[in-house]
Amino acid sequence: MQEPLQDEAKQSPHEKILQNCLRGELRVVNTGLPRSQRRLSDLLEEKYPHVICNDSSTHLFKKSELEYLASLLDTDERKALPLPMLIELGANQAEAAVLCEGKIEEKVVSKTLNMAVTCEARRIMIYRPQLALLRKKLKTTTIYVFSPKIVTETTRPPYNPFLSTPLDK
Amino acid sequence: MPELIRVRPTKIELVKLKRRLSLAQRVQKIVKDRLSILTMEFLQTARDTSDAKRKLLDEFSELYKALSVAAGYHGYMALEKELIATEADLKTTAGSRNVAGVRIPSFELMVNAKSTIGYSLADTSSWLDRTAQLSEESLRAIVELAEFQRSFDLLAMEINRTKRITNALEYIVIPALQATISYLNMKFEERDREEKARLKRVKVLVAQG
Repeated sequence: MQEPLQDEAKQSPHEKILQNCLRGELRVVNTGLPRSQRRLSDLLEEKYPHVICNDSSTHLFKKSELEYLASLLDTDERKALPLPMLIELGANQAEAAVLCEGKIEEKVVSKTLNMAVTCEARRIMIYRPQLALLRKKLKTTTIYVFSPKIVTETTRPPYNPFLSTPLDK
Repeated sequence: MPELIRVRPTKIELVKLKRRLSLAQRVQKIVKDRLSILTMEFLQTARDTSDAKRKLLDEFSELYKALSVAAGYHGYMALEKELIATEADLKTTAGSRNVAGVRIPSFELMVNAKSTIGYSLADTSSWLDRTAQLSEESLRAIVELAEFQRSFDLLAMEINRTKRITNALEYIVIPALQATISYLNMKFEERDREEKARLKRVKVLVAQG
């Protein structure tokens, strides 16, 4: 008779390694997020504009990009634009959302992509080709966020062990 | 045929396996999303690297032409004499940025507003000015190319690593879990049928007795 495998650590080493890899993967995905966003006007005054990330590393902004953003906005808008702008990747692979506080992000995205965009429910929805264009122009001033929705919004309904066992039929 | 995971055929194990399958599928979704983003960034970086290389070669070509014309116009000795004082420290800002969990270097050439030309404008021609201007542009292109080239390498390595994880999930972990769940389900169904047959037989025996 086989030994009872109640403890997951007693399973095959191959599976254990994979599980560790997966745990690491989940941890890695959002470590690069900034602890807090900073205003464009503050960053423009700094010699080395940067933000501190969750893993205590620094995310450096390129001055050329900050100057490009400053050229799109007036003085008051510069004081209100939080950087880096967050691009949320949702369950739908074809779309991404730029998280926004107000109309300023809408203006920046609209001018950068050279097309009209609208902010709905604090999000500006864009498609992958537009995302590539946005990232090309704003490499350091935008950052990806892997939304928890990716994990929850799966196509399958949530699993209920008490409904799906064959003996319950 | 995927390999079955060695577990006791109990309902508790089945529930555990189903939970693990659900987790594996969710993680697969995250890893796949990350892979698609990394691939998009990689392709963009590849295009940027190619453009930066072409730009650098064009600028070098222009620069050597301008330099040879300037050298021809002034003579090597006079040109060297003028350029002795033009040496300046090159300053670059080096930092990093994060792209979907990959730390990518970021370089930027620092432009010093106070820097002077360093040679006499009165004694030199506009060819030398053109050469100086092109050399500055070449330096900027070199720094840009260094950033793209390193990003390209790092993204490629990360894509390889992520692809291995995706493949392991897609072809080993998830099929093995599905096969084991299906095996356990069949086992339980079989046990259920046996139980029903036994009950029927007992019923018959009781009726006869």
